[in-house]
Amino acid sequence: MSDRLLWAYGIVPAQAVSPVSASGVAGGAVDAVTEGELSAVVSEVSRDEFDGESLRANLNDLAWLERVAREHERVLDELLAQTTIVPLRLCTIFDDADGTRQMLVRECEALTDALTRLEGRQEWGVKLLVDGERLAATTAPGGDAAHGEGGAAYLARRRQERQTREAARNAAAQLVDDVDSALRAHALDAVRLPPQNRELSGLSGDMLLNGAYLLDADQVDALRATADGLQERYADHGAQIVVTGPWPPYNFAAGEAPRQPA
Amino acid sequence: MSSTIAEQDVALVDLLDRLLGGGVVIAGDITLSVADVDLVHISLRALISSVGKLEERPPR
Repeated sequence: MSDRLLWAYGIVPAQAVSPVSASGVAGGAVDAVTEGELSAVVSEVSRDEFDGESLRANLNDLAWLERVAREHERVLDELLAQTTIVPLRLCTIFDDADGTRQMLVRECEALTDALTRLEGRQEWGVKLLVDGERLAATTAPGGDAAHGEGGAAYLARRRQERQTREAARNAAAQLVDDVDSALRAHALDAVRLPPQNRELSGLSGDMLLNGAYLLDADQVDALRATADGLQERYADHGAQIVVTGPWPPYNFAAGEAPRQPA
Repeated sequence: MSSTIAEQDVALVDLLDRLLGGGVVIAGDITLSVADVDLVHISLRALISSVGKLEERPPR
């Protein structure tokens, strides 16, 4: 058994393969394995580090995972600038070129469909963050109910607090729908990813929407303009709209397969 | 203001959300089941958030 394995990045049309200058995961040279019309972009990794139990252990080492994730992404970004790609999930690993070719044969139809569907299209991410207090302030019911003491005043205060919370929740949901549908107007497909909490995102504000949009390449400027316009329109909610991309189409490569719920 | 990936470092959480949560899932020869990856993803979210907290501490 060889002490090397093949790490796969993504699938590209066979005729589109050109040399990738970025080094691959763990420093391996990036190469292609071709079968018919499809090429898998791969690089060698050591079995010691990437097989079975050691892989599982390494995946739980954040520094290791970050390095590998960024190396994987760097290769895909370089490919993305040149051709259509079907990105593979992290840790798609084969024994050797034969194993990779067998996969290309087995998955030929789905991969070919995906490449056709994604040609000329780009995935962009858009996040909506607001200042939760300012959003709530725009919806707070007027009138100062029941400052007095006693049971009736207490109940009235509680009722008002509940109404305030509900109004804020409804306003947030309405805002997300407004922003998402304005962005979807430019997109062929869209998904909502789970909003990230502040510690994970490093962004200030409450993330209400973490969307991914599949666009025709000529719609990118329009999407950005819409995002800027929405940020301005909702400025009194403290809205920030953060656009990232183009991404390898991670969220749209799998076709109609249902996504895991958040 | 909106900005592109090229203009900023890609946040690790954005990357992992896509690399672990998206992408085509194809059975490789080295089997790491979808469940394994999902478990990693869940434990990582906890891990990253605790790293975030560590970084907020004043420098030693």
